[in-house]
Amino acid sequence: MAKKAKLTKETFEKAEEIISFHGYSSLDELVENLINSEFEKIKSDDNDTEEQADKLTGLGYIS
Amino acid sequence: MKRREFIKTVGATSLLSVPYMNFGKGKNAGARMIVLGFDGMDPQIVNHLMRKGKLPNMQKLANQGVFTMMKTTIPPQSPVAWSSFITGADPGKYGIFDFVHRDPLTYFPMFSQSATTDSSWNIKLGKYDIPLKSGEVQLKREGKAFWDYLEEIDVDATIFKIPGNYPPSKSKQRTIAGMGTPDITGGYGMYSLYTDDDEESSFENEKKLSPSKLFYVYVEEDNTVKAELIGPENSLLRRDLEDDTNALEEEENSRNIKIPFTVYLDNKNKTARIDIDGKEILIAEKEYSNWVEIDFPLIPNVSSIAGMVKFYLLNMGEKFRLYVSPIHISPNNPALPISTPESYSKELSDKTGLFHTISLPADTKALSQGTFSMENFIVQSLSVFDESDKIFDYEFNRFLNHKEDFLYFYFSALDQSQHMIWALTDKSHPYYHQKEAEQFGFIKEYLYTKHDEILGKVLRQVPKDVKIMLVSDHGFAPFKRKVYINTWLAQEGYLVPEQKDSFSEDGYIYDNAPADWSKTKAYGMGLNGLYINLAGREGHGIVKPDEKRKLLEELKYKLEHIKDPKTGETIISEAFISEDNFSSDYLNRAPDIILGFKRGYRIGDTSAIGGIRKEVFYDNNDWWSGDHCMNPAHVPASFLANFKINKQIPSLKDMAPTILKTFGIDTPATMSGQSLI
Repeated sequence: MAKKAKLTKETFEKAEEIISFHGYSSLDELVENLINSEFEKIKSDDNDTEEQADKLTGLGYIS
Repeated sequence: MKRREFIKTVGATSLLSVPYMNFGKGKNAGARMIVLGFDGMDPQIVNHLMRKGKLPNMQKLANQGVFTMMKTTIPPQSPVAWSSFITGADPGKYGIFDFVHRDPLTYFPMFSQSATTDSSWNIKLGKYDIPLKSGEVQLKREGKAFWDYLEEIDVDATIFKIPGNYPPSKSKQRTIAGMGTPDITGGYGMYSLYTDDDEESSFENEKKLSPSKLFYVYVEEDNTVKAELIGPENSLLRRDLEDDTNALEEEENSRNIKIPFTVYLDNKNKTARIDIDGKEILIAEKEYSNWVEIDFPLIPNVSSIAGMVKFYLLNMGEKFRLYVSPIHISPNNPALPISTPESYSKELSDKTGLFHTISLPADTKALSQGTFSMENFIVQSLSVFDESDKIFDYEFNRFLNHKEDFLYFYFSALDQSQHMIWALTDKSHPYYHQKEAEQFGFIKEYLYTKHDEILGKVLRQVPKDVKIMLVSDHGFAPFKRKVYINTWLAQEGYLVPEQKDSFSEDGYIYDNAPADWSKTKAYGMGLNGLYINLAGREGHGIVKPDEKRKLLEELKYKLEHIKDPKTGETIISEAFISEDNFSSDYLNRAPDIILGFKRGYRIGDTSAIGGIRKEVFYDNNDWWSGDHCMNPAHVPASFLANFKINKQIPSLKDMAPTILKTFGIDTPATMSGQSLI
């Protein structure tokens, strides 16, 4: 189901610049891509408690 | 078109007029400045050593201008504090509040300074998965850096390893990333230890050293040792070709690139030769080698990752123990962005030799974990300091020759060392060891004097009109007791653990729901952070927005009255409510309360990632015996300059406005600090 979203003029202009720069075919494609990419970030390795523990161990702050 | 390019295009005649016409900003002709950043330099210790006559150059600088303590950030953690230095603002403006933030949706801990995303566009070729577009590393620090303002008026600057700038923000200035830079495995310093000691190579010890690697090796009859260096995972290998059988038999490092090496021991002369990747390295026992560059092939003869390591032959003879440093990104051919322009890291390497690129180069955890003795750690720390000193000489000479008009140079040694050597001079510390204290108790004073000598070079050689600032980001204090704040929250009924075994003795909670979120009102995450489980913000928030303030004040009161049963004293001198202390721009990333511990107290290890242990308090039985993640009022930073300032107690956020004012730029509206001149 298609849903509409309102953008301010400034944001829309930025979106047009991104579309032109990266070669997206439409605003819909850009929005779709950004949402999927943000969703992937939520699911990414950065959301791993053990990995974060390893990083803090690497820095020395936890042992 | 950028202004610098524009000026080059229109020629020198328009040089003077363009800045005023286009930007309303001036440039103080001939202005020049050097800033030395000594991480963790404590003003009380400086004052004490100055009075003893041990820091003649700092004394001279103070006589010319000023020496004072300086307000650090809430909380006084390096990435937070140096970001304030960079942007001239408080954390609310640049969005870094701790080493560790949390994802509000999932409650997972997240590293605050940068985020890495993999390429999502790949093509499968044979056994490889080839990315068509590279993944990205994103700097999470917001706000404009002071060197960008300098660039706009054509003041050339070199920024060496300022924390809070990995990956380096886009700039035409010469910048090298510092704290936050990973090793080539993506970690923050995973070393390898090769040992023939049965006891040391036990499973328990292997677990203790994780995520670093422990390998049991044999010394053959001909006095050789054969082993492998485990490199980064080969991300190009297709995962979809791994069948179940492989998965069952898979060793932990099966996807990692391995580089074999052989050690030839000469026990009579206490020396060894290491053959690796076509190179021969000669080292003596207890000697820390030079850098060794190693190519880790992704696709043989087509693609590889450049890394570099140092070897440290800890023991030979009765026991064989070989330490191999974390695999640093090579500045000659960096696998990830570490400098602007990209060629700068190679230029430095060509001129000064290879240099450490990892976040915090001295291996504090190798000492904490018993791999290093105190002597080993000190040798390594001094080696890191000497390397920085050598690079400083190169950059300082460039500055003297007018290649740049602004130089910022960072030294990490005081911070990293004070974390580890505090107990050597503190008999009241739970981890005080008399033997090490007698042997190495001098080292703190020695390190301060070594840093004083760096300043001495500057004072001897720079013209008098060059402005000099010497700053630290925070001071130091003992760290004697560990506090598990989630345990306290659970005892008080604010946090309801999902399972009783969440109170495991090792404190780790591996799942993403350490709490029953439907009953939990608050949780701790990070080295100073406490979050409200706020409805509409957190994934399963239950505290209504109109109840938040009351809960914050209730928690603040209770936190400031927690008492250590061992001493009967309170442990938090101030619980800072974030919305009362920070700008609102990036407040959504902030903990709701910042815990301002008293000297001697810090968050417990796994509490920083949401962990819970049985008790709230534990003695700190670790060489990591000094710290600064406390109430900023107890660990102020240091400020010295060769000019007078207009404030009695400056603040870290005043640094960027002061730098800009030196070059004729008024304080931008985005900065909340004030120029000191």
